[in-house]
Formats: sequence, structure tokens, C-alpha cells
Amino acid sequence: MRKVLIVLAFLFAIIGIAFAILPMGTLGFLPVGLSLLFGALAFVKSDANDKTVPKWLLIVAAVTLVVIIGRSFVPDEVAQDAQFEQKKIESKQEDLKDLEGIE
Amino acid sequence: MRKLFFIFTVLLTISSFAQDNKAVKSGEKFVYAASYNMSGLMTQLAQVTMQTETVKTSKTSLLHLSCEATTFSKWDAFFKIRDIYESYVNPVTLKPSLYKRDIFEGKYTKKEKYIFKSDGQNIESTVSKKNGPETKKAFQISGGTQDVVSILYKLRTIDFSTFKPGQIKTFVVVFDEKEMTVSAKYMGKETVAAGNLGKKSCYKISIGAKTKVLKGTDKNIIWLTADNTKVPALIRFSIPVGTGQMTLTNATGI
Repeated sequence: MRKVLIVLAFLFAIIGIAFAILPMGTLGFLPVGLSLLFGALAFVKSDANDKTVPKWLLIVAAVTLVVIIGRSFVPDEVAQDAQFEQKKIESKQEDLKDLEGIE
Repeated sequence: MRKLFFIFTVLLTISSFAQDNKAVKSGEKFVYAASYNMSGLMTQLAQVTMQTETVKTSKTSLLHLSCEATTFSKWDAFFKIRDIYESYVNPVTLKPSLYKRDIFEGKYTKKEKYIFKSDGQNIESTVSKKNGPETKKAFQISGGTQDVVSILYKLRTIDFSTFKPGQIKTFVVVFDEKEMTVSAKYMGKETVAAGNLGKKSCYKISIGAKTKVLKGTDKNIIWLTADNTKVPALIRFSIPVGTGQMTLTNATGI
């Protein structure tokens, strides 16, 4: 049972780290929360002299959680894209030529 | 995102019985946050901006309607989107003269241009895709057909205050060089958050179309503010790959 819990905590920690790196926003709370849950259960089920692995899993999950919380406060913004803006200007000039031809 | 934007535009479909434009003005700018439902949590992916401006040619004055979809910068490294949908319309009737679609989504690109002939019955289209040849085509349309951008704005000219819940209208939209029948069902009024406008009483409209893109019954819904401006405040959509929504964050120039 302890091994199963450790494996689950490890898997969800990996997914949580991936979500923290990717811009998945608050979706990362899900795997990290599960990793913390399984890690805590594994910690409780472990003998006093055998708690190292679940302890590190809990630390990793907790750090990942902090990263996700921190990133959730960063506002969503659109990058300044000079190439895109230039494309729009050129497109508009082309449109005016087309419109003159239509009317 | 292409599907998402398509839903966005279809959800704003309009009746051929629409009145002349009294709601849409030059200088409007609506900004939306587009979110996608991932495992029950809405994740913001992109910003959608709808703008209007007056454009003068040597003979007339037109209203330029543009809709841009841009991924938030955090997504650009993974999947960059820069889509533009544009339409040049008569400022009173909102009848389109020129429609353009410029898609840039990751490695996929597509350009599309429709020139609406003055008889209102024909379109000349020019389409090009990445690494593909430019194709030109002429095809007929019915008289009241709109493009997906102008229809979006024309929806706002409908007087929904005269509608009864359950009342349905059908419309015709041209997209991907094909005409498509779309229905809009008035479902009553609801109060929703409308960005900087605060909480607003809105007309709730359910959109259906004879297409595989829309999924479910009454799951593709748009809320328009129940006032003279009829600003689209919230849009929820259901497509084969999931659900999402577009929420109004900022509206100016109304």
C-alpha cells in the first residue's frame, strides 16, 4: 500500500511540475494536490525510520504548489508584436485598393 | 483556436430581418479573454479584440469591423496564434463589401478574401494556405447572406425586447466558401458580469447551426447586454473537443 501511494505521489508530482512549467494556470493545482495527498498518506503509512522518500515527495509537491500559486498572480498579457502590427497596416492598404475597385 | 473563433462568430449570428444599424458605432473596442475548459478548470488561452473604425474611400464611407485572436504571451512559445477576421460594411445596413480572414496558428496559415459583388448575389473569393497555391473562385449567395464578422455585429441591431422566450429565427452565413443556415433562439434575460461595465442584464441567445462544429442543444450561448448597445458580454460554446467561454474584460467607445 505504501509503495502504491509513493508511486502515485511521484507520478502526480511529475505531472504537477510539467503543468507548472507549461502555462496551464490553475490546472496545475489538480496534480499537485493529489501528489500532496498521496505523499501525506505515504508519509503516515511509513515507519518512523523510513519516511525519507515521502518526505521529499511532499517537499517537491509543496515547492511546485508555491510556483503555481506565484504564477497565478502574473496577469495574462498579449506580447507586443511589431511584425503583426506591420502586417495589419499593409493589409489595410491593400484593402483600400480592393474597395476602390469594388465601388 | 480556429474552431473556437468560428464558434465565437457563429454564436453572434443574425436575422435577415434585422433593423438598420443603431447599435454599432465607429470607435468601439471590446476585449475578451478566451478560456478553454481543461478537466473542469477554465484556462485562459487568448485575447480576442473586436474593433470598429470608419474607413473612407474616394466614393463612400465604410465601417471596418475587425476581430483579432492573439494568444497570451505565456502561450506564444508553445502555440502562437495571430488570427484576424475583418469585414468592410455599409455603416447603416452592415451589408459587407469585403471580408478577409488571415489565420496564423502555430505552423498553420490560411488567407481568405471575399469580394461581395454590388448585386449582392455573388462573391469572388481568393484563398491560399501555407505551401499551397492561391485559388480563386466565384460563387452565388442568397441576398441576405452575411460574412461571419459582419453578422456578428448585425446581431446587435436586432430588437430582442420584442422577442418571446423560445422564439427562433434562422439566418444564412457564408464561411469557407459555403452558405450555412444558423438559428438563434431567444431564451430570456439573465444578469452576467460584463468586464468594466459591471453586472448587466443581458439577452440570452442560444445558437444552433447545421454543422458538426457545434455540439449539444442550447449549449452554445451568447449574452448581449439588454440595452441599446447590445454588447456581447459572455459567450459559452460546446464543440466536439470540449467547452469554453469568452468573457468581456473591457469595452470602450460604446
